[in-house]
Amino acid sequence: MIVLRGISKTYGRTTALDDLDLEVREGEFFCLLGPSGAGKTTTLKTVAGLEQPDSGTVELDGKDMNGVEPYDRGVAMCFESYALYPHKSAYDNLASPLRSPRHRLPAVQARERIGETAELLGISALLDRPVGQLSNGQRQRVALGRVLVRPARAFLLDEPLSHLDAKLRQQMRAELKAIGAVRRTTTLYVTHDSVEALALGDRIGVIRDGRIVQTGTREEIWYRPYDTEVARAFGRPRINLLPGAVAPDGGFRSADGEVELPIGAQASCGTQVLIGVRPRDLTLGEGPGHELTGTVYVTEVLGRSVEVTVRLGEQHVSLVAPRGDATGLRPDDPVRLSVRPENLLLFEADRPERPGRRIGP
Amino acid sequence: MTMRKRLLGWLADAALILYFVFALFPIAWMVILSLKPTNELFSTYFSFSPTLDGYRTVLGDSEGIPFVRFFVNSLVVSVGAVVLSLLVGLPAAYASARWRFKGSENLMFTLLSFRFAPELTVIIPLFVLYQKLGLFDTYVGMIWVLQLVTLPLIVWIMRSYFADLTPELEQAALLDGYTRKQAFLKVALPLVKPGVAAVSLLAFIFAWNNFVFPLILTSNEAQTVTVGALSFLGGDRPKYNLTAAAALVSVVPPLLLALTIQRYLVRGLSFGAVKS
Repeated sequence: MIVLRGISKTYGRTTALDDLDLEVREGEFFCLLGPSGAGKTTTLKTVAGLEQPDSGTVELDGKDMNGVEPYDRGVAMCFESYALYPHKSAYDNLASPLRSPRHRLPAVQARERIGETAELLGISALLDRPVGQLSNGQRQRVALGRVLVRPARAFLLDEPLSHLDAKLRQQMRAELKAIGAVRRTTTLYVTHDSVEALALGDRIGVIRDGRIVQTGTREEIWYRPYDTEVARAFGRPRINLLPGAVAPDGGFRSADGEVELPIGAQASCGTQVLIGVRPRDLTLGEGPGHELTGTVYVTEVLGRSVEVTVRLGEQHVSLVAPRGDATGLRPDDPVRLSVRPENLLLFEADRPERPGRRIGP
Repeated sequence: MTMRKRLLGWLADAALILYFVFALFPIAWMVILSLKPTNELFSTYFSFSPTLDGYRTVLGDSEGIPFVRFFVNSLVVSVGAVVLSLLVGLPAAYASARWRFKGSENLMFTLLSFRFAPELTVIIPLFVLYQKLGLFDTYVGMIWVLQLVTLPLIVWIMRSYFADLTPELEQAALLDGYTRKQAFLKVALPLVKPGVAAVSLLAFIFAWNNFVFPLILTSNEAQTVTVGALSFLGGDRPKYNLTAAAALVSVVPPLLLALTIQRYLVRGLSFGAVKS
């Protein structure tokens, strides 16, 4: 279990972490998602004891880690830069923790353990090579192996799949959670890839400007995003956000007056808002829920489905439809769209200083 | 065009050869001088009957000047000074590259200032101190005072080597279960080996060539070649051939050392210079 309370950290004038709170439960696989510079790596290093926070406390398994050296915290970390020992072979890199005073194993057992781990990560054939001769993807797997090879209170993984090629990344993503050690061990996983976070995380924390914006399961993050930034971060194509205002009847009226949706907003009339709907929640043609009419702007085939961009007044919205429904659509063809009321999200309008918060439903 | 280029090439070659002759002439002159018999010492002609008597006299202790002992003294004192500086300086360089604390830059500058302060400004007080402390004319005293020469060099050069290493390597070692000391010894130090080789050689040469400290702080027991070679100039007639032979013999250790670690040297001297 990892608990961070009120962690702040500044480097000179830049604030890396700003009163950050985070709790990773025992045995949980927790994904920390955020753009670069949001404080993800600093968070990991703070847990590992490699960075000293200016204020706040770090607890591991209920024990305050203040003043505890990194080698006594019992956590293993996979660095984004790999941080492999360049003067050693892949094998010796994997063996490093097992030869250290704190995690020492007898040589025979260590060899067995390294063999298993290498097998798991598909690097058995590379063990004799100096790490300088390995490709980035291979180095990354060796770095991951150095973490998995040893028992740990928690695994801290900093973008461990980012340098793999697409195919291998997908495969490793599928396998990572099935690995016994990962299943048993509390894992804090840092990524900037929302697909990875959704696929792997038991829970997801969204970090921005050194603060946790939202924590929750993938469903909570997907259906109840805290603000427009979080909504935009997940899902491709991105969520449609139409600007408008709350009408006197509590409905939504788009800025150009072309789109009206009765949503029963809990906001005063005239409030500037954004209404959000994900491309896969918009249906072509008639269906249950609210109906909208517009004209086709452009279509793009994505294999078995088609992304259709529809012009609604001055706005464009995109939707993903099965290929059969979209055949024969030409630009400027009139179309009807439908959306279920429960799939609509209402946000306050974005402001320069912060993205709009969700205010309904 | 090609004609002009070729001409320029010849001119450049000629200029280089000229410089080469100019630069090597003093050494050639020393070699010639060392091979001259005593009676032809003051002839400036290039024709003479060469003899190795000069070397025999210098190495054979026959003039009452124990040159071999001076040579051994130089070796002991220079190697000792470099080893001590490495033992103290490598951890210091590592620490100063990794941890900035209040006054750390001032500390480093103070250390550097030992290099550019003239030795002569401190030599008199040092002489008095050494006399009182019984360090005068001892190995310990010489090794100690040579730290002024070797330590700043090693600390400052090694510091930039350590600064070029990403701290994440040592952080990884800490998380692998090693202490900071072990991370330094097992991870950081092996990676700066070329730098250690290069800087050790430089420090050795500086220590070996030092003249002022042994001149004032030794008299006989711990005297080094730089001062010892001058003994041949004393007496009723300066024996230039012996001085030249002594000087040439004392070039051998730095030269051998440089040749043996040449492989590291080229890598080492360029490695720390460029920030990646």
